[in-house]
Amino acid sequence: MKYVRVWVQLVHCAFSSYASNRIDAGSYFLGKLIRFGFFWLFFISLFHYTDSFAGYTKWETLLFFVTFNLVDVLGQALFRGIYLFRNDIRKGNFDCILVKPLNSLFYILSRLTDILDILFLAPLGVALWYVVIHLPPLPAASFFLYALFLFVGLVIVLGIHILSAALTIWSMESEGMIWFYRDATAIGRFPPEIFSKPIQFVFTFCLPIIVMVAFPVKMMLGALPLFWAMMGCIIALVFLIGALVSWRVSVRRYSSASS
Amino acid sequence: MRPYISAFRMSLSEQVTYRFGFFFARLRGLFVLVTLFFVWSAVSMKTGFFAGYSREELMTYVFGAHILRSLVFGSQSRRIASEIHDGTFSLFLVRPVNHFLFYYARELSERLLLGFFAVLEVGIIVVFFDSTFLFPSHLSVFFFVFLSVFLSHMLYYCMSYGMSMLAFWSREAMGPRFLFEWILEFLSGAFFPVSIVATNVALVFLFFALPFIYLVFMPLTIYLERVPGNQLFLSFVWQGMWIAIVAGLLRALWRRGLRAYTGEGI
Repeated sequence: MKYVRVWVQLVHCAFSSYASNRIDAGSYFLGKLIRFGFFWLFFISLFHYTDSFAGYTKWETLLFFVTFNLVDVLGQALFRGIYLFRNDIRKGNFDCILVKPLNSLFYILSRLTDILDILFLAPLGVALWYVVIHLPPLPAASFFLYALFLFVGLVIVLGIHILSAALTIWSMESEGMIWFYRDATAIGRFPPEIFSKPIQFVFTFCLPIIVMVAFPVKMMLGALPLFWAMMGCIIALVFLIGALVSWRVSVRRYSSASS
Repeated sequence: MRPYISAFRMSLSEQVTYRFGFFFARLRGLFVLVTLFFVWSAVSMKTGFFAGYSREELMTYVFGAHILRSLVFGSQSRRIASEIHDGTFSLFLVRPVNHFLFYYARELSERLLLGFFAVLEVGIIVVFFDSTFLFPSHLSVFFFVFLSVFLSHMLYYCMSYGMSMLAFWSREAMGPRFLFEWILEFLSGAFFPVSIVATNVALVFLFFALPFIYLVFMPLTIYLERVPGNQLFLSFVWQGMWIAIVAGLLRALWRRGLRAYTGEGI
C-alpha cells in the first residue's frame, strides 16, 4: 500500500508539472498524435500498392504497429523517471535516494509519470478497437492471451529500464542506452518476418523486442506455437532477473564520487 | 572569420569528446537505417518494383536519406532556446560575433562529422547486406545534387534557428520543437519517398505545398534522375524562395525577440 500511495503522490506532482506547462504539454501530445497518424498513413499507403506485407494483411500489419505503440507508451508512462537518473548520478543526488525508506529502483523508475502517454492510451485504445473489428472474428481467449503477452512485454520493458539504470551507474554517458532501446524498438513497428534470421535471433534473445511486440500480436492471431509462447515467458523472466542482478552489482560499485 | 573557425573547431572536439555517447547515437541511427532497408526489401521482393520505384532506386533512396539526415538535420540550434532561458544568451549580445553565423559554424562542423560517419555506415551496410547503391549516369547530376543539398541544409538551419527563437516569448519552446521535428521528418521524406504516401489530392497538397520536401525528398529525387530538366530549375527556384521567406521571418523574429528579451537568469 505504501508504494501505491507514493506512486499516486508522484503522479500528482507530474500532473501539476504538465498542467503548469500547457504549451509544451499540448505540443508534445499533438506531436505524438501526428507521429502516430503519419505512420498509420504510411502503412495504409503501402497497401495501395500491395495486398500483403511479409505475408500479413493490412489490418494484421496495423495490429503490429498499434501493439508496438501500446507497449512503448505504457513503458514511457510508467518508467519515465529513468531519464532523470543520469543527473542524479552526476550531481550525487543518488545518495539522497538511497537513504529514502523506499526501494531505490522503484523511486528511480516511477518518480516521473508521463501523463501525456497515459492520455495517449485513449486514442491508442480506439485505434486497437478499430483494427480488431477489421480482423476476422477471434475467440475471446485470443484477447486474454494478447493481454497476457502484453504483460510479458512490459516485464521486458521494465528489465530494459533497470539495465539502463545499472549502466548509468557504470558510465554516466550511458543515457544513450535508453535512447538506443527507444530506436531499437522501432523494429517492433513491423512484422518480424521482414528481417533476416540473425536479426530476428538478436531481437528475440538478446534485446527481446520481438517478444515484447510480435508475440502478443501472434498470440491474438493464433500464429504462435506453444513452444515459442513458453519460450517468450522464459526469456522475459531471465531478462528481468539478469537486469536485477546487474542493478545490484552496480549499486555495490556506486562510489558516490560526485556528492 | 577567426571566431567562426574557432566555433567550428570547438564544436568538432566537443562531438568526439563523449565517445560512448557518440557511438550509441550512431548505432541508433544505424538501427533506423537497417529497419528501413528491410521494410523496402520486403515490399519490393516479389516483383523488384514498388510504387513506381525499382528495388535499387528504393535502396538508394533509403541510403541517401540516411546520409542527408546527417548532413541536413542538426541539433546545435536547440541550445539557443536554453541559452535564452538561462540568460547566457546575453554574452552573445556583447561579443563581436554574429550569433546566426556563430551557431552556423557549430552546426556545420557537427553536420560534416556526422555526414562523414553516415557515408561510412552506408558503405558498411551496402557491403554487409550485399545491396546496391546507384550512381547517376551523368557527372553533372552531382553538381545539381550538391547545390540542392546545400540549399536544403541552409533551409533547415534557418527553420531550426527560427524555432529556437520562440524561447524569447515563452519558456515552453521544447514542446513546439518536438512537434516541428516530427512534422519535418515525415513531410521531408526522411523515412520514405513522399510520392508513395501522397495518394490523394489533399496529401499531395500537404506534402508539395510546404517547404519540407526540399530537405530530403527533392535532393534524392534529383540524385535518382527522376526530375526532368525544366522542373530541375524550378525546384531550385522554390528552394531559394523558401530560404528567402524563412530568412525574412527570422530577421523579423530576431528584432522583435531582442525587444522581448529580458536577460532573466543571469
